[in-house]
Amino acid sequence: MSAAHQEFATKWGLVVDIDKCTGCGACMVACQTENNIAPEQDASNKLRTLTWMNVYELKNGKEFPQAEVAFLPRPCMQCGNPSCVPVCPVVATDKNEDGGIVSQIYPRCIGCRYCMAACPYHSRYFGWFDPVWPEGMEKTITPFTSTRPRGVVEKCHFCHHRWNQAKDAARIAGKDPNNLPDGAYTPACVEVCPTGAMAFGDLKNPKHKVYELSRSKYAFRLLERLNTDPQVYYMTKRDWVRRQGDNYLPNEKA
Amino acid sequence: MGLDRRAFIGLVAGGAVGTLFTPIPWKLADDAAIWTQNWPWIPRVPRGEVTYAATASKLCPSGTGLKVALAGGKPIMAYGNPEHPLSQGGVSPIGASEVYMLYSPARVRTPMRKSGGKFEPITWEQAQTELMAKCKAAGNKVACISGDVGGTAGEVLSAFLAKAGSAAMYAMPSEAGPAAAGFKLMGGQGRVGFDIDNADCVLILGSDIFEGSGVSVRNRKAFCATRPLGKDQTAKYAYAGPVRNHTGAVCDAWIPVASSHLGALALGIAWHLLKAGATAGAADMADFKKLVETEYTPDKVAKLTGVDPEILASVAKNLASAKAPLVIPGSEMSQGTGPGAFIAGMSLNLLLGRLNKPGGVVALPELPAVFPGAETPSEILARDLPGFLKSVGEGKTAAPEVLFVYAANPAYGLPESGAMAAALEKIPFKVSFASFMDETAAMCDLILPNSLTLERYDDVVTPYGAAFCSMTLVKPLVAPIFDTKTTADFILDTAKKMNLALGHDSLEKALKEKAAVLAKSEGFVAKEAMPWEVLAGKAAPAFDPAGLWKGLEAGLAWVKVGMVAQTGLSFAAKVLAAQKPATAELSLAGMAPQRVGTSATGLPAQCLTAIPDTDLKAGASIVRLNAATAKKYGLSQGSSLTLSGAGASCPAKAYISENVMTGVVAVPLGFGHTAFDAFSKGKGDNFLKIMTASVEDGTDMTVWAGSEVKIA
Repeated sequence: MSAAHQEFATKWGLVVDIDKCTGCGACMVACQTENNIAPEQDASNKLRTLTWMNVYELKNGKEFPQAEVAFLPRPCMQCGNPSCVPVCPVVATDKNEDGGIVSQIYPRCIGCRYCMAACPYHSRYFGWFDPVWPEGMEKTITPFTSTRPRGVVEKCHFCHHRWNQAKDAARIAGKDPNNLPDGAYTPACVEVCPTGAMAFGDLKNPKHKVYELSRSKYAFRLLERLNTDPQVYYMTKRDWVRRQGDNYLPNEKA
Repeated sequence: MGLDRRAFIGLVAGGAVGTLFTPIPWKLADDAAIWTQNWPWIPRVPRGEVTYAATASKLCPSGTGLKVALAGGKPIMAYGNPEHPLSQGGVSPIGASEVYMLYSPARVRTPMRKSGGKFEPITWEQAQTELMAKCKAAGNKVACISGDVGGTAGEVLSAFLAKAGSAAMYAMPSEAGPAAAGFKLMGGQGRVGFDIDNADCVLILGSDIFEGSGVSVRNRKAFCATRPLGKDQTAKYAYAGPVRNHTGAVCDAWIPVASSHLGALALGIAWHLLKAGATAGAADMADFKKLVETEYTPDKVAKLTGVDPEILASVAKNLASAKAPLVIPGSEMSQGTGPGAFIAGMSLNLLLGRLNKPGGVVALPELPAVFPGAETPSEILARDLPGFLKSVGEGKTAAPEVLFVYAANPAYGLPESGAMAAALEKIPFKVSFASFMDETAAMCDLILPNSLTLERYDDVVTPYGAAFCSMTLVKPLVAPIFDTKTTADFILDTAKKMNLALGHDSLEKALKEKAAVLAKSEGFVAKEAMPWEVLAGKAAPAFDPAGLWKGLEAGLAWVKVGMVAQTGLSFAAKVLAAQKPATAELSLAGMAPQRVGTSATGLPAQCLTAIPDTDLKAGASIVRLNAATAKKYGLSQGSSLTLSGAGASCPAKAYISENVMTGVVAVPLGFGHTAFDAFSKGKGDNFLKIMTASVEDGTDMTVWAGSEVKIA
C-alpha cells in the first residue's frame, strides 16, 4: 500500500487511437467473456453493470452540421500513482509487481468501495449481484479469471493471465520471460479490435510500438494533471477530443 | 496420584499455551481465511488444457474466420482468426457470440410441432414424415426465405426448390439485394465487390461499411491499414448519410443527406465529373449525360438535398484528383435502399473508370455450384422479398402452400413488419429451421432447429462487399448440444426420401466436392499473400490443389482474385430517368450496429452491456434528433414521443444529438423483440414496423430507407 509513485522495469501500457475507434463495442464484449462477467438481462442501468472496458461517446458540443463524434474506450488506467491503492483498508488492491498492473484481489476485498470513490476514471465496478449465467452458459466460463461473488470490487487487469501465458510460452521456448517481444502479450480487447485502434506493449521498451506512440505529439492521458501517471495513452489529431481529456479552462491550451 | 483442581487448571492452561507453540491455531486461522474465500454458490472456472480451433462465423454477416478457445475440449470463447483474410484477428460482437449463444435460453432444443396454438416436441422422423406429406401435396407451391444464400447450404435449399419446380427462393434484405438487382439492370455480369484496401479516396454513400454492411470487419481492417498508428493516413474517407453513425464517426468528412436523396447526391457529383470531361464507354452515355446535365444541376441538387453546391464540387474534385477513388453505395441501416440508388452511386465509379481496377469496383465471378439446378446467389438476391410478401398480404399474389424459413426472421426483420407477419399468416404451412425461437419460428407450424455454427459443417462463400471470391469452411467443434440437426443434411435426406435426390448425401460430402471443384479453378489459399495484395499486383502464391481441404480444415480461406470482363455495361439511364426522389418533412434513419445482433439472433446476451443507455434505457427505445428538429416538434432531452408511419406507431424517448441532420429521426434497430428470451424481449420497439415499404420508380423494387415518419 503506497501513495508514492511506483516505477518498474517493465511498464505495460495501452495506446488507443481515438480517431480509429468506431465505437462498435467488440472490446467490451471480448473483455466480458474473457474475464467471466455474467450477462445481464437489463444492462441499461449503467450504475449496476460491470464494464471493465467501457466505450464513451464524445461530442464536440457544436450544433449540426459542425458537430463531431468520437468514441473513447476506457479500461483501468493502471496508474503509476494510483488513487485507489492507498485508500484500500485491506490491501486488496496494490501496485507491487513488475509491469505496473494494479492488482485486485477479490477474496481480500471487503466491498467498502473506497477505491471506487477514489478512482477518478470510474474504472472500478462493484458487483451488486452474484454472477448468474443462463442454464448451460456457465460452460463458457474461461479458466483465465476467477469468478467473483457479489459484494466485491472488480476492474480491468490488462488480462494479466495473458501475461502469465506469454511468460510461460517464452520459458518453454527457452527465451527470457522478462523481455517479451512486441505482441507476445496482448489483452483481449486489443486482440479483437476490428479497426486496430489499440496498441499494447511495454512503454519502456523501445522495441515495442507503444514506446514511440506514447511519446507522439498526438498522445495524451486522461486527467493528466492529477499526477496519477496512467499507463493508458490516447491519441487524436482532433483538438476538441484532446481537450476533453482534462478539465481545461476555456483559454487554456490542451 | 489424583488429578486435583490445581493440576487440572495447570494442565488445561499449559495445554492452551502449548498449542500456541504448535502450528495448529495458525493452520486453523489460515483454513478459516481460505474457507471465506470459497464461494460455492457461484460457478467455478473450468479445468483442462486450453486449446484453439478454427472455424468461421455464420451468425455474423461479415463472415469472419474465428479462432475458438476450448478448455478441456469445450468451447469457451471466440476470437478473430488472425490468419483469415476477412478477420485478420478482428471480430464483431456477433462473431464473438458464437460460443455463448450455444447456450442461449432462446435455443430451440428439439423439433416441435404446433398443436392447438402451442408447440409440442416431436421426433425428427415424425417431423420429416409430416414435412414430406405437406411438400408432396404442395407440388411446386413451395417457397423459401433465407438469410444465407451465398453458401452451399443455400444451394441445397435452392436445388430442392428447383426439383420441386419452384423458383420462389427469396433472400432477407441487405445491401447485396439492390446491388445484385442494380448491376443486372446495368447489364453487368457477376457480383460487385469493393476493393477498399487499394483505394485512396473513398466516398461512402450511406453504406454502414464498418458495421452492418457486408464484410465490415475486413473493411475496418482495410481502413485501419490506411491509418498506421502514429503515421500519416494514406487514404481519405468521406461519408454521406443522414446520421453520423459508427462509419461516419471515423471518416474525414460527413456530408449530411437524407437516405432517399443519396442517389440524387451521386448524380449531383456526376454533374461536376461530366463538366470536367469525364466519360465512359457505355452505350447510353449520351442519355445519361443529358439526364444529369438537365435534372441534377448543382442548384437543383442543393435544393433537393440541402447539400451546398461547393461541397458537391469539392467532393467531385477530390474523387477526380485521386489515384484510386472508390464510391460505395448503400444505406445507413444496411437495408431498404433500391437498385436505382445503387446505380446512381455506381455511375460515379463508371465515370471515374473504376470498374475492374485495383482500388475500384470489382465484378466477381459466381463460384460453381455443386448442386445441379441451384440458382446463383445473384439471381436470388435480385428478388424483392418485401414486395412479394406485401403482394401476398394484399391478395394480389397467391400464397405458397409451404414456406421454408432458413436463417431468417421475416416476421421481425422486414419493413411494415406487422403487415409482413400478417402476410406470412396467409401461408398455410410454415416450417422454420431457426436455431433460436424467433418471431417467425413462433408463428410456424413446424420448427426443425438447425445446429449452430460450432456444431455443424457449413461454409462462408464470398460475403457481400468483398473484392475477392472466397470460401471458408465451417466445421463442427462440438457435438450438437441439443436435439438439433444441420438443416442442409436434413433437406438432403428428405429430398432423397421424396425421390428428389439432390446429388449428395451430406453437406460435408458436398463441401468436399466444392473444395475439389474450387481446387481446379484459379485461386489460392490466403496465407503468404492476401487477395488485396494480389489485386494490387503482387504475385499470387503457389497453390497446392491437393492440400486445399486440409488448409480449409485448418481455418484458412480459399480465395480467388477474378474480374468478370464487362460487355454492354450501361448507366441504366432509363432507370435513372424514372427516379423521383421523395421528399419528406421528417424522415427516418436506422442505426443498426452489430452489437444488437441480427433479426435471426436477437440480442446476444453478452452484448447488452455494450449497448449505451442513449439507445435503450429501462426498456424504452431512445431516438436521436438534433436540437433544431426537436425544437420544431416541441421536444427536449428525455421527452416522450410517439413515432408513427406505415399505419403503426412506436413510443420512444428523445435524445438530442447534433450528429443527426435536421429533419431526420435516427432510430436504433434491433430492439422490440417479442420472441427469443429475456435478453431480447421487452426491450424497446422495432422501428422497422413504422418504415413504409414503397416502390422505387424505374425499378419497381421495394424501398424503405428514409421513409417518412410523423411525431405525435
